[in-house]
Amino acid sequence: MFKKLFLGTTEINFKMLGTTFYKIFIVETIIFIAILVASLTGILNMNLSVDFTGGTTYQLDTIYTDDDISDVLTNTILEVSRYQTFENSNTIIFRAVESTQENETQFLNYLANKFEVLPNEIEFQRVGPTFGQDITEKGIRALVIFLSLIALLISFRYEYRYSLIALVALLHDLLLTFSIYVLIGLEITPSTVIALLTILGYSLYDTVILFDKLKDTQKSFKISNLNKDVLNKTFNEVLMRSINTSLTSAIPIISIIVIGNYLGIEGNLADFAIPLLIGIVSGTYSSIFVTVPFLSKIIKT
Amino acid sequence: MKNLIKLMFLPILSIALFSYVYVNSIQPKLGLDLQGGISVILTADEETEPELIEQAVEIMRTRIAAFGEVQEPEISISGENSVLVQLPGLTDQEKALEAVGTTGLLTFRPVINSSLQLGYSPALTYSENPDDPDKPLVSAPSGVDELTGLSINDDPSTTSYLLSLSDGFPIIYELGPAGLTGNDIDDALAVFPNNEWIVQLNFKDESADKFTNLTKELASKTGDQRKLAIVLDEQVISAPSIAFDVNPEIGITGGTASITIGNSDQGESANNLAVILRYGALPVSFERSSIQKVSATLGENTLNLGLQAGLIGLIIVSIFLFFYYRLSGLIAILGLASFGALFYSVIALLGEWQGYTLTLAGIAGVIVSIGLTADSYIVIFEKLKDELKIGRSFSFATEKAVKDAWNTILVADFVSIIASVILYLLAVGPIRGFALTLGLATVFDLFYTRIFISTAVPFAGRINDNPRFYFPLTRKDIESV
Repeated sequence: MFKKLFLGTTEINFKMLGTTFYKIFIVETIIFIAILVASLTGILNMNLSVDFTGGTTYQLDTIYTDDDISDVLTNTILEVSRYQTFENSNTIIFRAVESTQENETQFLNYLANKFEVLPNEIEFQRVGPTFGQDITEKGIRALVIFLSLIALLISFRYEYRYSLIALVALLHDLLLTFSIYVLIGLEITPSTVIALLTILGYSLYDTVILFDKLKDTQKSFKISNLNKDVLNKTFNEVLMRSINTSLTSAIPIISIIVIGNYLGIEGNLADFAIPLLIGIVSGTYSSIFVTVPFLSKIIKT
Repeated sequence: MKNLIKLMFLPILSIALFSYVYVNSIQPKLGLDLQGGISVILTADEETEPELIEQAVEIMRTRIAAFGEVQEPEISISGENSVLVQLPGLTDQEKALEAVGTTGLLTFRPVINSSLQLGYSPALTYSENPDDPDKPLVSAPSGVDELTGLSINDDPSTTSYLLSLSDGFPIIYELGPAGLTGNDIDDALAVFPNNEWIVQLNFKDESADKFTNLTKELASKTGDQRKLAIVLDEQVISAPSIAFDVNPEIGITGGTASITIGNSDQGESANNLAVILRYGALPVSFERSSIQKVSATLGENTLNLGLQAGLIGLIIVSIFLFFYYRLSGLIAILGLASFGALFYSVIALLGEWQGYTLTLAGIAGVIVSIGLTADSYIVIFEKLKDELKIGRSFSFATEKAVKDAWNTILVADFVSIIASVILYLLAVGPIRGFALTLGLATVFDLFYTRIFISTAVPFAGRINDNPRFYFPLTRKDIESV
């Protein structure tokens, strides 16, 4: 099996598979849209970080008990909306609403006394909601420009229908990552937005390499139209590369998550790594199982 | 021979640069999130002219330089109307932030009265309390806090009661409406002419008359009322008296004045006052849209995490490549190592020469680029395999694989570069760091593909033409296809 995979002589009939995966894709799309609508209308709770909602965070390293935390949650100085603790470390993060500077300083000192740490060892962060909005707005603007350019590039080098397929695969990856985020309730931070933009890169990179391979095979078959044989040959051959590339891309990212977890560090880098990993897995999946059903539709013979 | 030069060019370049960086102990300049400190994004109104923001940044830089003890502060324009202020490893962060971000409305206001004379705020009037003779009744004019006797919201156009802490003890001044503002000042300088520190103040030509009239009025008075208070943001910075030799008929003319400070602190307060007078007011007002404090230990932890993850990732990828591609995998490992050394050196040199700081998002960009770089090797090796399968000779197959793969990698990397450029141009703050490292790594990847891999693979192909050296496949496997 491995040898076949390596030689690219697996005899999977992708044209046939296409119909099955088309159905899966439709189901996926319905689920994604349902989740998207549910989270936009507030039925599902998007766990947005303070960067989007505005507020303050306090992060400290200390030894604590559950009683300490419930004390903090019922304190009279600031309304603490959420807290976060980590399995392998003594870090606690409190998130509070925005208040006057006085109250915030008072709360900081309160935490310092409560947990017997120096006030300047508590990592304090304040954000207005504008910062997160700014990043999102700019991200969306970057997205639109990027996608138009890429669509042009792909139409120019391959054909316009390919660029549509690439965009569908891309949206699939973004929506999948987003859905997982909403369903698990992972916190959406500006790092997540950056990660989503990176996923775009990955997803397209993968799809472009595939199209290139498709073009190559077409050339070697000396035909101008895509047919079943070209499709099957290409995808059987490209399977190994897809797996290899995903593995080499995923390994550094998995090591961030694993080491981060081991050292008990959660934060920006982990915020970044998790969506990337989801995106890479999804990108590998979509570059084959989302493109194939659509490519099958193009095939006439 | 020509090929040998091409083959060795990038590895030698990377070793040379790395040694240079190592010998001179140049290290990448770390961003605030990796070494601890405070980072603030100040945002001005949407329609603020870029020129004004540039001016404000200049003033902020001078202020922070005048503040001293800040190591390598970074103040830069980010986006259209935001300024990113990064103060690494600072102890007195709040104070420094205050110094940088506040607009600083600077005014000159005549003193009417002060608590120095009365012992308590001149705003408060005390009357006898019939119920408790020990606690007199306090009344304050509207807009004045009854407890402190200070104006709650200072309005420079009317009388206000403001605090001064510059003498080491609190004084509350009752001040008349502002006569001059920071905009009237042309220049201010701390000088030390006759064993005494003096702040030499020059007003703009068109403001000289205003100053003369104001001093005329003050010179006719005595005591506190001879004083002219210099007020920055509701705080009296200094309240020098008009000298006794100033003629009330003439005032101080010529648009210049000197404020005698004395000689108690080696000119520190004179310099501070001069800085405030010169740079007192920013031309734009800013709002803090984001403050982030990172403790030094957290920064260090994150850096170590990034480095360890990167290194372990690189090692596992290497083992993986060696397992799959054997001799060619070895080329990939050498190439990746050289790539890593070159990339590190360039980041370090960019930090040294261009002030580029490596942030967390930047490290993330590097880690992501490991995957993309390794992929270039995989694409070439897979093409090689395809060529061998159609029965091409080894040397021909290597040449052809390298040529064909270049087109694929070019398109794929192009996508990545477009993404980086767009992100860099349109994004703010951390995203830029990410885009820069990712873009840089992709460009390097193109160079390595074109120069190193494309010579190394045919080169290695000449060593042995048994596929077993290159893939976990025998010749028979390949021929059987």
